[in-house]
Amino acid sequence: MRRLRRRLVPYGLLGPGAIWLLLFFAVPMYFMGEMALRSGSLDTGGFTFSWEWANFSDALSGSDEQIVRSFVYAGLATVIALAIAYPLAYAIALRAGRWKLLLLFAVVAPFFTTYLIRTIAWKTILADASPAVDVLQFLQLVPQDGRVLATGGAVVAGLTYNFLPFMILPIYASLERMDVRLIEAAKDLYASSTKAFLKVTLPISAPGIVAGILLTFIPAVGDYVNALLLGGTGQSMVGNVIQSLYLQQRDYPEAAALSFVMMLAILAVVVVYLRVAGTGAFIGDEEEPA
Amino acid sequence: MSEAWSWLRRNALLLYAALAVLYMLLPILVIGLFSFDQTSTGKLDYRWSGLTLDYWRDAFDDESVNEAMITSIQLAGLSMLVATIVGTLMALALVRYQFRGRGVSNLLIVLPMATPEIVIGAALLSMFLIYGLELGFTTLFIAHVMFSISFVVVVVRSRLIGFDRSLEEAAADLGAPPLTTFRTITLPLMAPGIVAASLLAFALSIDDFVISNFNSGTTETFPLYIFGVSLRGIPVQVNVLATLLFLVTVIAIALVLWQQRRAERMADVRPEPEPQETLRPTSREVAA
Amino acid sequence: MSNTSDNPRAVRLRSALAMLVALVAALAIGACGDDDTVGGGNGGGEAEVAKAGPVRGELTISNWPAYMDTGKENTVAEFEDATGVEVDYVEDVNDNAEFFGKLRPQLERGQSGGRSIFVVTDWMAKQMYDLGYLQELDHDDLTTVFDNILPSLESPSFDPERKFSVPWQSGMTGIMVNEELAPDIRSVNDLFDPKYKGKVTMLSEMRDTVPLVMKADGVDPADADKQDWLDAIEKLREAAESGQIRRFTGNDYNQDMTNENVVAAIGWSGDTSIIENPDVSWRMPAEGCILWSDNMVIPNGAPNTAAALAWMNFVYRPRVQADIAEYVQYVTPVGGVDDVLRQRDPELADNQLIFPDEQFTADCSTQPDPPGSEEDQQEVTEAFQDMITGQG
Repeated sequence: MRRLRRRLVPYGLLGPGAIWLLLFFAVPMYFMGEMALRSGSLDTGGFTFSWEWANFSDALSGSDEQIVRSFVYAGLATVIALAIAYPLAYAIALRAGRWKLLLLFAVVAPFFTTYLIRTIAWKTILADASPAVDVLQFLQLVPQDGRVLATGGAVVAGLTYNFLPFMILPIYASLERMDVRLIEAAKDLYASSTKAFLKVTLPISAPGIVAGILLTFIPAVGDYVNALLLGGTGQSMVGNVIQSLYLQQRDYPEAAALSFVMMLAILAVVVVYLRVAGTGAFIGDEEEPA
Repeated sequence: MSEAWSWLRRNALLLYAALAVLYMLLPILVIGLFSFDQTSTGKLDYRWSGLTLDYWRDAFDDESVNEAMITSIQLAGLSMLVATIVGTLMALALVRYQFRGRGVSNLLIVLPMATPEIVIGAALLSMFLIYGLELGFTTLFIAHVMFSISFVVVVVRSRLIGFDRSLEEAAADLGAPPLTTFRTITLPLMAPGIVAASLLAFALSIDDFVISNFNSGTTETFPLYIFGVSLRGIPVQVNVLATLLFLVTVIAIALVLWQQRRAERMADVRPEPEPQETLRPTSREVAA
Repeated sequence: MSNTSDNPRAVRLRSALAMLVALVAALAIGACGDDDTVGGGNGGGEAEVAKAGPVRGELTISNWPAYMDTGKENTVAEFEDATGVEVDYVEDVNDNAEFFGKLRPQLERGQSGGRSIFVVTDWMAKQMYDLGYLQELDHDDLTTVFDNILPSLESPSFDPERKFSVPWQSGMTGIMVNEELAPDIRSVNDLFDPKYKGKVTMLSEMRDTVPLVMKADGVDPADADKQDWLDAIEKLREAAESGQIRRFTGNDYNQDMTNENVVAAIGWSGDTSIIENPDVSWRMPAEGCILWSDNMVIPNGAPNTAAALAWMNFVYRPRVQADIAEYVQYVTPVGGVDDVLRQRDPELADNQLIFPDEQFTADCSTQPDPPGSEEDQQEVTEAFQDMITGQG
């Protein structure tokens, strides 16, 4: 009897979340999948189900440029976010002492204000004639007669900034449990700082890094609002195309099909990544001691 | 030589971190700055024209902003709570137990993050209508919890992986029932992960626009309000409220930590109670 | 230990496969089960006529932001006092397409989400009507409205008999110009001038941008055919790809103009009040502007049509409308308001952007729909959208 209860525990733990996701995600997604196989149009009699696999190939061929661009932008944003977030998370988790929670909240709290206001602030900071852009031009990061806004760089910068908390928080959570004395011990054993970092800190924070990368990359690919406000026509991402298909063109089947294509592409990339990174860092296949 | 080098190294990290903090706070500083900006129309005008305290004085004058802000905070708080609890349980299951359906669970967790918001929003709307639910706070709550769970699971999971189980095993060896071990050892050790996950869930909810737009009925959340008024000019009070939200959050945490510190200090200051005199002879007396 | 193979890869593969099979099976079952069409609308059926009656109860109105005067004694409060109706005035229409997107599933089911009135632009009102989502209006119930409505708005091309729409406010789309930096911009064609490369934006609203471009090339939007539209879109595409047009915007061109990121933009007449750059002003293009209206409509499933009709009559009283016009500063559809306002603020009454005279709008065109059949319209819309998202 005890054995049975034991075996049911994980299902009990999973239960509430799984039910919530099944009811409120899986079911709607089923309807979306069904919509992806319909054909017709809103004004001429509605959409009928017709196993219209062509929607998928149309979606793929029509938006290939945007799909690639989305992955590139999201990838860049993830890498840059990692570069910014890791040292910051490290400093907060291991160097801030009793103020670590305060610092953590302080860097995440700006993201409680609405995306639009933050972006307006950035657009003010990075306006063509602003001192910030002058500095960037001086540093040759921006061409002399160039601008920051309405470029690919602006979109990537927007993505990076807005997904930083997604990168910082898991890395922080992961690093925080490290005992600093481990590093001291490593150093006592004559390891250099680099070695200590690579052999001690990095492996401990690996799950956090993997989590951060996933939490940043995956939603960033489907983002549309950064490209909308910070980019121009040459910077459209898949999210923008889907918005346009759904709202402006009211082509619900193609919008659904493109969404599926994108989701599958993301899953494929994630699977490949986890294979390379080692799924242990993500899945953590642990067993309950018997 | 290696001392100087590691000194430099250590400072480099802090310098880098300080720059990173500045970068993350930059927009809110600008937002705060412009909350003092003088405008002729009462709306944000994106350029500086002089200092005024007017908008701080009249910060709560606009009823619709206040309502929207309160709705958003309530919604974010509630969905953060539920999503964190549900997600933490899921993370525990996934990391600590063997069971069938692991692949499906992982898929169910990753897919919502990969789905474009407009698709989730529209699909949820159709589904709510089929279920016959009335659009409003409840449907918003359901939607917000739904998209937050995935993020909570991933964050808490990363905290749990590679966890040193020896403390828990020690507790079990000492006869503690599993629930007690969980409550007194596992949970506190998981705490930073849970805190991080709930922060993320709160941020996700309070900032959501697309999904909320589709599923809110006539209820207004703060982002919905902002996107609405941005069409015809954002009132400067919005900047004031945004800055207030930031300040209140930070000050609240600071107060909590300060209280903690005071409590710790008080504990240190209070003198140790005198140990009871025992009747057993001390070793010295015995030796003597 | 469970019996499943220890190979995690096999386990994952198996579960993924199982799910795929389940999904396809579900789809197959779903497809066999019903062959209902989604989204056909009511097209073809008779539209309901909004019923008048005793005015009481609650009224929910959805409108665009900043389209209503503010304060404790505003028009909404006045209406509540005059009729005893409790009004829930919601500003959740930010964009026609977005609003349609989120209302459609409900309108499909004959529900309106509790709303008895909402306000959408001409073309969207027409589309909703054609899909059978709106109720018809009996002019006998709207005497104040049709006594006071401006003659120019009595019979618009999208609703010649005013069967389903009553204008709320009208507006003009023209060019916003920074007079310091680009004093010579007088026509939409000037926005294609290479010396302003990258310093120009246009609206992502197809029915504003494309007709203006056509007008600048001498084509009358009312007579244009599908090819004219496609040609104009092609011209826009070239300009976008070359970087001439910085971006296509919603209303966020306001920030770009204020910060002088751009020197000219296609924009709306009522936005001058939000741009706090004294160099920037709205100009009537040499070839004329585009005139549009946002209209009150009553959807199917409206819970309180009697109060809705009463509201429409109420806001068409010149004195009431004067309060609205004073605040909103778009073009009011009600006659006699300029006389009322002249006593309060003569400058306002003479403002061409609020009370344009015949001469001012002589060359303006009403906002058109792409011509032709449903398929033609879809083709044009798709071409424009592809251009905006940089596809094809």
